[in-house]
Amino acid sequence: MSSDIKKKFSEKLSENIMDKMSIDFLRTQVLKNAYGNKDTVIAGLDPRILLVWYLFFGLIPWFSHDIIFLLGCFILVTITTMLARVAGLVLLLFVLGVFSQTGYLLIVILLFGGDASAFLPLLTLSLKISTVSLASITVFSGLDPDQLANGLMWFGFPERLSFSISYAYRILPVLLQEFQNILLSYRMRGNPPSRKTFAGNLKYLIYQVKVIMHAFYPLMLNTAKRSRTTVEALELKGYRYAAVNKEVKKIRLSALRLTNNDLLFPALSFMWVAVTLLISSLL
Amino acid sequence: MNIVEIENLTYSYPAASEPTLKNISLQIPQGDFLAVVGNNGCGKSTLCKVLNGLIPHFITGSFSGSVKVGGLDTVHTDVGTLARKVGYVYQDFENQIVRPTVLDDASYACLNYAIPDYAARGLEALSLCGLQEKKSDYIWQLSGGQTHLLALAGAVALRPDILILDEPIAQLDPRHADHIYEILRELNEKHGKTIIVIEHHTDYIANYCKNVLLLKDGSFAWQLPTQEALQRVEELQACNIFPPQITLAAYRMKQAGLLSPHAPLPTTIETGKKIFDKLAYAGTQTRPQAESSDEEDIIARFHSVFASYKTIHGKDGHIFEGLDLEIKRGDKIAVIGSNGAGKTTLMKLMIGLMKPSWGNITIFGGNIRRQKGTNGAKQEAFSEDSSQTIFPDKVAVPYWSPEELSRMISLVYQNPEEMFIQDSIQADIAYAMKMRGVADYENRTAELLERFRLTELKERDGRLLSGGQMRRASLAIGIALHPEILLLDEPTANLDIATRKEIMRTLNDIKHITKTVIIATHDMQLVCEWAQRIVVLCRGKVIADGTRDEIFGNAAVIAQAGIRPPEIFSMGRALHQRALCYTVDEFLENFAEVQNEQ
Amino acid sequence: MQQINNYTAAQPQKLMIFVLTMSMYGLATLFSELIPSFQVGIVEFSVEYFLFIPLTLAMLFDPISVALGAATGELVFSEIMLGQFGGLGELEKFITVTIGVYIAGRLVSNPSNRKLVGFAAMAGTVLQLLMGTIVDILKVQFAVEDFEAVAGLPQSVFATEGFAFLNDVLFSGILFCLLPALYLVPKLYGKIEPLLGMQPRTKDTWLDAVNVKVILGSLVGFAAAIAAEMLAESGFELIDWEAGWAESGTAFAIGMIVAAAVILVIILILRTNTSKKAG
Repeated sequence: MSSDIKKKFSEKLSENIMDKMSIDFLRTQVLKNAYGNKDTVIAGLDPRILLVWYLFFGLIPWFSHDIIFLLGCFILVTITTMLARVAGLVLLLFVLGVFSQTGYLLIVILLFGGDASAFLPLLTLSLKISTVSLASITVFSGLDPDQLANGLMWFGFPERLSFSISYAYRILPVLLQEFQNILLSYRMRGNPPSRKTFAGNLKYLIYQVKVIMHAFYPLMLNTAKRSRTTVEALELKGYRYAAVNKEVKKIRLSALRLTNNDLLFPALSFMWVAVTLLISSLL
Repeated sequence: MNIVEIENLTYSYPAASEPTLKNISLQIPQGDFLAVVGNNGCGKSTLCKVLNGLIPHFITGSFSGSVKVGGLDTVHTDVGTLARKVGYVYQDFENQIVRPTVLDDASYACLNYAIPDYAARGLEALSLCGLQEKKSDYIWQLSGGQTHLLALAGAVALRPDILILDEPIAQLDPRHADHIYEILRELNEKHGKTIIVIEHHTDYIANYCKNVLLLKDGSFAWQLPTQEALQRVEELQACNIFPPQITLAAYRMKQAGLLSPHAPLPTTIETGKKIFDKLAYAGTQTRPQAESSDEEDIIARFHSVFASYKTIHGKDGHIFEGLDLEIKRGDKIAVIGSNGAGKTTLMKLMIGLMKPSWGNITIFGGNIRRQKGTNGAKQEAFSEDSSQTIFPDKVAVPYWSPEELSRMISLVYQNPEEMFIQDSIQADIAYAMKMRGVADYENRTAELLERFRLTELKERDGRLLSGGQMRRASLAIGIALHPEILLLDEPTANLDIATRKEIMRTLNDIKHITKTVIIATHDMQLVCEWAQRIVVLCRGKVIADGTRDEIFGNAAVIAQAGIRPPEIFSMGRALHQRALCYTVDEFLENFAEVQNEQ
Repeated sequence: MQQINNYTAAQPQKLMIFVLTMSMYGLATLFSELIPSFQVGIVEFSVEYFLFIPLTLAMLFDPISVALGAATGELVFSEIMLGQFGGLGELEKFITVTIGVYIAGRLVSNPSNRKLVGFAAMAGTVLQLLMGTIVDILKVQFAVEDFEAVAGLPQSVFATEGFAFLNDVLFSGILFCLLPALYLVPKLYGKIEPLLGMQPRTKDTWLDAVNVKVILGSLVGFAAAIAAEMLAESGFELIDWEAGWAESGTAFAIGMIVAAAVILVIILILRTNTSKKAG
């Protein structure tokens, strides 16, 4: 019986990084998250409004200890996250993230002789973390990356950041493809430890981690080769010229326009917050 | 009027002991369509980077002489101004695309230079390059050919007077290559752009370019009209440039006294028809191809395989729709078809990197896919693992894990850089044997280095080698483990013709080491000279499968799949309907006599 | 006749380094974001597994471009792409990574000196981890009301954070930063520079050896980092205090409703305006 469990566990462990998290899956999820939800309400909003909105819901919950207010915020950002139609991978990471920040703390508190009184503060903490994370998921996953880049630029973030965001989405598929091929080279030519036993599986896992780390050696060199052409091309395309030219920024940002929806969205959000605050103060 | 005027240009890269460009003086007239040729490392790309001001403004080094582009001295003009005069498309063009969507990238430069109608300019450039349909697409949805057109559009958008393209068709199938050149011709003729291409496909030069510039080891050799330039067969060959097959055939006939010594050499099929029309078709059958595999042992089988890729909108894109294929032991197969026909996918499926969405692939009697819904398959995998055997007949229907598959099948990528995972080619070749505990791996590595003429270079990192050396090293890595099946993805892409010939020799060499070899390629000369069996892929299916006579003799298949036989084959066909000559040698054999004049 | 010699083009090379580091470290953090299963028991192995990448590059190239590239790469690839953007928390990460990598790169005057490379790799890692730990503890302190009053909480936070720090330094610092950097720096040195069209650092172009100036500079940088952190934290407190006031009454709620009402009114006005224009 126990050997059965052990085997199951080792199977699960061995299917870890490279098997389950296929690079193709990762690529599709990230790109889907960025560009697959263009037609949603959230994606249609003005990035500047959403960033201000985020500033509120990403910050205020940290300073409140009011459960009802926090719950209200949490419900709101849950709805907006649903509206933004983010990719499953992002949601999974969110859940894991919240657990890793509070779930383990709970276990430790119990170990150190804490009691039930610890639950409430932890619940508050979880609510805060969830709200802030979901608000960020709504804005950063819901928005088209280029819109986001423009929005950040409007608020005076360095042009280099806006460029990096757009460029990252351009280069990600290329990098993943290359990384995949390099990993494949290791797989075709390497000799991974057998996965028959639990120890073997652990060895296999370590082998995989080692391979991923080693893979960065060829990847760095290959990317260096690419970067050279890219930066030369950027020079020809006037990137550095644009970075110091106010006119370019103006042209680029002229595409940003406020519509009724853009105002309605924060209005409704704040109204909802106000209502929860009112309820909380009445109770 | 000259749009480019160079005087006494000498340039050396930083810390280089010798100048790359040596005292070059030349003029390029407005409206020219110029091919720059020369052997590897003769300074072609360097010269082009001088024209757009990257040298000396961006790339450091010592620069002397004067370069005027459109009347502007490049030393006193900044790169931004020059970029609007000179558009540049790199050989590794996919790295010059920096934005995620098509229109965005095409108009990016215009936006950066604060041109108010930047989007309209981008659109205009896209439509000039035939990409207007794709304007809202993402870069990763484009095919290789389309990506190249986008790089061109990005350059065209700034409305430069000069366009420079570095090896524009190196990675393209003939149909896409024609498309690029047709667009270039239109830009040249209709829009008055001066076009400069670095090109070693002399058949394209013959068909499209007006003038040819030869560089020899960094020095200016000559600049001549195309027709005249291609007559200089010996001089070109000395620089590792191979004239069109037709020209070469005529040259050799001239030497053999078949043609008048004063007759001009033909460069295209059209001119060839006139020159060769006196020749009689001997009708000797083409040499039988190297004997095909006599073994009937089927070692790999695709049975109604469907394969697709996920798109971000949840709809799947289909690559294979019911593919059937059987591969016998000892087969030497060339898989051909246009870009995107699924050649690379076929290979990915065979090594288990991709899983079919439907259908069966068996390799040496084993499945490459775990049977769904049964734990038994998993168990089998474990028990199989313990027996450590790769002989299929001992297990009923085993499942091969990708690791096990890799012991039987080896893949050499199109991009050899991705094969180099160690810091020297010696270590790279030894890696697999060392990891798998091959006893005398050191000797075998030395042997392989010797066989592929890499011994001198064994300490170097693969990435820092030349194109041909890189390719040889990747082949050595591929066969190090003596795989049962060797898969080669575009082994001759991006190589100049001399290096390509060398690789072809190497491929013939290794026929004895690895019995079953499959090559995916656009290179029809390679196909004709090497393959015993040709598989044509089109729209997710095998539309033809047979010998070269069966494939190239079938006009319907050729048209449907968008492939093109070697030019000498078409020449032979143009002269005689039944002629099947695939190489210059075969052409010479078949048309060895002058018709009796009556 | 023109003669141009020793034309220095530092700016584009810096951009090249930035782009390279951003892509590499960005991709790496994208992966490390996906490996949460490394949490074994109470110990969270979620350090920067791939910090060796910018550390290595910083020792070979211009440290500040590498440091900024790495921080930006992480921000863009793992935070924005995967929706894990944590607001101000990311600012802290941005700063700590930048400082850790920059100082590590600055410490190495000669990339072929293995001892120096090893020392710098550890120094950069420890610095980054230490700053991260301090901020983490403060974060929980601010987030949880009556932090001191909850039984077992302060001890457990200090214990877990302290343990995680030590563990990260000993385990991840050595396995994932020190060893890979020692492996990679000599391998890449002289090889990666020509690919970017640059000269490898030679005797003439080495950064100055660690002298008083560099130590002082590092100390100032370190102090500035701490100051920035403290400032960010006190900023927290300031807002906290104000928000505390707002929360105490219904004033905040009413303020919200007023704000919402004002926005609604603006919408109505805009709408009538547009309909007038349309009409």
